[in-house]
Amino acid sequence: MSAVTEFLAPDTVEAAIAALAGDDEAVAVGGATALSLMMKEGLLFPSRLVWLGRIPGWDSITAAPGMVRIGAGVTLADLAGSESVRRALPAVAAAAGTAANPRVRSVATVGGHLAHADPRQDLPPVLLAAGAVALVSGPGGDRRVPVDDLLVGFYETSLAAAEVITAVEVPLTPGSRQVYARFNPGSADDYPTVGIAVHVELGPDDTVASVRVAAGGCASRAVLLHEAAAVIRGRSPSALDLPAVQAAVEAEIPVVGDHRGAESYKRRVAGVWARRAVAGAVGDAGPLLGQPVAVV
Amino acid sequence: MKISLNLNGEQVYADVEADSLLLDTLRDQLGLTGTKEGCGVGVCGACSVLVGGNPVSSCLYLAAMADGADVWTVEGLTASDPDLADAFVECEGMQCGICTPGQVVAAAALRRHHPGASPEEIRRWMSGNLCRCTGYGTIIEAVERYVGRD
Amino acid sequence: MAVTTGAGRLDGRDKATGATRYVADLVLPGVLHVAVVRSPLPHAEIGAVDGTAAAAAPGVVGVFTAADIGSPHFGRRVMDAPVLAVDRVRYVGEPVAAVVADTRRHAERAAALVEVEYRELPVVASAAEATAAAAPDVHDAPWDYPGAVVKQGDGPNLQSVVRHGDEDATAAALASAPVVVDAVYTTPAGHQGYLEPQGCVARVGPDGLVEVWINNKSPYRLVGQLAASLGLEPDRIVVHPVPIGGDFGGKGSPMAAPLCVSLSRLTGRPCRLVLRYSEDLSSTNPRHPTTMRVRLGADRDGRLLALRFDSLADGGAYAAFKPIASVNLHGMVEAGSPYRLPHRYIESRIAYTTTVPKGHARAPGAPQATFAVESAMDELAARLGMDPVELRRRNVLVDGDPNPDGVVWAEARGRQVLDAAVTALRPRAVPAGWRHGWGISLYDRATAPGQTSLRLRDDPDRPGVVAEVPIPETGTGNHTVVREGLARLLGLDRDLVRVVHVPTSDLPGDAGVGGSRVTASLSEAVERAAAAWAARTDREPVMVTLDAGGDSTRVTSFSAQIAQVAVDPETGQVRVLEVISALDVAEVVNPAAHRMQIDGGTAMGFGFAVLEDLRIEDGQVWAGNLGDFRMPTAHDLPQLTTVLVPGGKGVGALNVKQIGELTNVPTAAAIANAVAAATGARVRSVPVTAEAVLSAMEVAG
Repeated sequence: MSAVTEFLAPDTVEAAIAALAGDDEAVAVGGATALSLMMKEGLLFPSRLVWLGRIPGWDSITAAPGMVRIGAGVTLADLAGSESVRRALPAVAAAAGTAANPRVRSVATVGGHLAHADPRQDLPPVLLAAGAVALVSGPGGDRRVPVDDLLVGFYETSLAAAEVITAVEVPLTPGSRQVYARFNPGSADDYPTVGIAVHVELGPDDTVASVRVAAGGCASRAVLLHEAAAVIRGRSPSALDLPAVQAAVEAEIPVVGDHRGAESYKRRVAGVWARRAVAGAVGDAGPLLGQPVAVV
Repeated sequence: MKISLNLNGEQVYADVEADSLLLDTLRDQLGLTGTKEGCGVGVCGACSVLVGGNPVSSCLYLAAMADGADVWTVEGLTASDPDLADAFVECEGMQCGICTPGQVVAAAALRRHHPGASPEEIRRWMSGNLCRCTGYGTIIEAVERYVGRD
Repeated sequence: MAVTTGAGRLDGRDKATGATRYVADLVLPGVLHVAVVRSPLPHAEIGAVDGTAAAAAPGVVGVFTAADIGSPHFGRRVMDAPVLAVDRVRYVGEPVAAVVADTRRHAERAAALVEVEYRELPVVASAAEATAAAAPDVHDAPWDYPGAVVKQGDGPNLQSVVRHGDEDATAAALASAPVVVDAVYTTPAGHQGYLEPQGCVARVGPDGLVEVWINNKSPYRLVGQLAASLGLEPDRIVVHPVPIGGDFGGKGSPMAAPLCVSLSRLTGRPCRLVLRYSEDLSSTNPRHPTTMRVRLGADRDGRLLALRFDSLADGGAYAAFKPIASVNLHGMVEAGSPYRLPHRYIESRIAYTTTVPKGHARAPGAPQATFAVESAMDELAARLGMDPVELRRRNVLVDGDPNPDGVVWAEARGRQVLDAAVTALRPRAVPAGWRHGWGISLYDRATAPGQTSLRLRDDPDRPGVVAEVPIPETGTGNHTVVREGLARLLGLDRDLVRVVHVPTSDLPGDAGVGGSRVTASLSEAVERAAAAWAARTDREPVMVTLDAGGDSTRVTSFSAQIAQVAVDPETGQVRVLEVISALDVAEVVNPAAHRMQIDGGTAMGFGFAVLEDLRIEDGQVWAGNLGDFRMPTAHDLPQLTTVLVPGGKGVGALNVKQIGELTNVPTAAAIANAVAAATGARVRSVPVTAEAVLSAMEVAG
């Protein structure tokens, strides 16, 4: 076990990449919430910490034509609180605002969140459903990586050595319906047993022109549920076959059982929750929990 | 490495290692033991402090990241705003007291970030700070009293 | 005497400003820091321990194993727990070696460098495995430990067996009972959930005087336990006063004290060990996981005829953390106590396993036993086609009834609390598609003052009185009770009563915090001390001592809880909408503190009921951090509604009844009964998770 010997806070992306490339045991640091945990638990022994928080503009949210660009250093709290994000990407804001607790949200960054790739996280399914793309820079240059290609498995991404996420671009789809429905039947502050994100766009004929359904919490990474989307696409919202959505999710979703639910239970509630989330996205919200039961 | 903090309104310096945690720096080097180590994993909130005005779990926050930042602990927050401790004392918002500094810091952060928080928003915000003793009723009342004050 | 001032706690301001110093906040000159090398295996022989690399690491003073400290053992009753493992480890997390260094960081880093060879032994993962024929032995000769209550031939791997009542008569009554429920209930291991980890600082002076600072709630008993463990003279041990950051039953054992004293003796410097919370979760003394079989018989009118209660609990690797003479759990041998039961037989076995040793948690044994029996009461009501409240009303003790142990209480107000709970119930609407239900559960618990002592002297700084108390403030407000009582009885402004917790060397003794006895004990001591103070003819201090027992052991309190739930039939999710607690009380000394004991207890009962589980599997605690253990947050709690049923006859000058262990006990059965009422599905294990409910609904069809 080597001790951490260096803390660097470069003020350009280039300097950060150079610092990461200069040490095989270097780790990029966003807000350090997950990193500190992993160091405490003896899962990670970096020798050099490269904190990205001093890079100018790192934490800015910018609106560009057709998309919102979220700097990798934007905290979950700032994402949840951003007026433009709340308006244009309500599911993204909701997911960011529900993760962990206020202290973690005010420190944890979007870039760190994605690079950490914990399958229980709230943002990845929402970003998958939104069709988000990560902007990545490294020694080999810059590249655009769809979130679906970024996530690989348990705590694993497709980032190469010394690559960092610099921003996430989320396309704007005016008129779309976006829902994030988090099933956490235990403590509200717990990770979700399953989190379902739905993104629906209606065409000029009022049928579903584009739809993405994604799930977190179930498998080794957040996943897009293509069969469920196929059941929905092309249909009129009032003529959706919701039981078929549920069945499709149950059939296709990859599941790893854990103490938040055995494989069979998670599969089943993922189906139920997806059906409800889709119903919510096209109009009939139903009892989407995560919120307390209405008290009369 | 040497860092400087604007700690409770005063410039201080500390010599920290690359992976030193702000919690340990505050408690062991700077002698501010009001900030408590509970769970050590960012869940319980006993180690809450404000960095740059934001609430953080100092048990997960690298001291080096706080270099040059404004840091406020329970000692400084209650000294600079008597209403804060008064609300907890008057509502008896504590029993064993080990979570109390964190609850107090969370209340200060809430008033700063959500000055008009509703009772439901208060409960949601404070849910990040665990208490095993009280069942939370008197703590929530203390926070409501504090947040409701001018 | 009701002291309903709302004047606040004497410790409030220091706690709100961070000024209160807990054990982890103390800085002793020259202190050394201890880190523990812990077993990664549930059961193994220890081979070579190589501390060479650790000893050479920066700041390290020494690396020590059992042999270096004389292989001492400790225990609250049974002296079976090694201070550091001797030749063998019996649970994941057991201390094997200690590294002493100049800083905590150095000690922890070096501890990771200690190499230990292990030869694995068979894992005994549960009480069922431990008591099966041909089970591997966890201890070679458990009956040989000082304080052991088991004998050779009692059966494999037993820490304690209690057989209570007439087995044959109970069997006969059950055999002839027209209606019998026979069901098995289980509960998991649970941490007490105090947020302040266990910690200790010890200093052994050149003259051999041993000084200890520790978050231990029974300091006078700790003196005896340390003396017995380390071969010291009790009058050469001083436990200094330290406030305690939460107890809930878990802070009554010696924990790190024998190790820190041993290391201070070796190093000649103060030694400090404060556990990381992950260590506390996996290596202290959590609540016993339990499997309980209930056989409950009644006639067709719902009159109870007999109860047979068989409990098998997992005591873990050592029995050392249980203090009572039977080395069992009170709550187990009190199963069914709120009712008239012509026949009752209880058998409570606690087994050694290769898991973390188990200890006391708020109302030891009672949350488990009450979950089982009160669930069975509802199952019986269903069989009888009777309303569950009516079944309880018919059988609950009334004035003059003997309880199952033959005790006739000074008063028995069970019907009043049942009625008060039902009267407070307002059924609530639930979302479309969800099911609504409510369930009830009943418990009673005696109030019994214990041994304590108190000294009053003139305040040298002002015209007031100083009250020296032997008992730490665990947060319940006991020091405030003393202040309020004295201010009232002596006619002093409360600011002129200073309450000081003094070292164990300064007062003759105290039984410690526990058994909900503190307010009762202190109020009697305060009454006597105030009388002696008023009668004194000189300026000498006044001291009173109070022995355990007396008339007051005939006082009990009843607690009825109703849980109201909404259940999502598609996912099994249970949302507890409200818990109503109807409580049998006498006078209330400090309303805010009384309320927090009630609400905090219910919150703990709620956590036990639906959330918390240390998940001990294959001999290991899998809830490795507090996030995994999932204690309830402010947002998770249902509405807590309290109905006090006043006018009870309490004990002592303050006329009080206990409150601290009334509300965490019945909650789980109330919730399980509510789920059954809502869905027809019976969940016989806690926590009552969504998954368990959905699975039970499938069984129920």
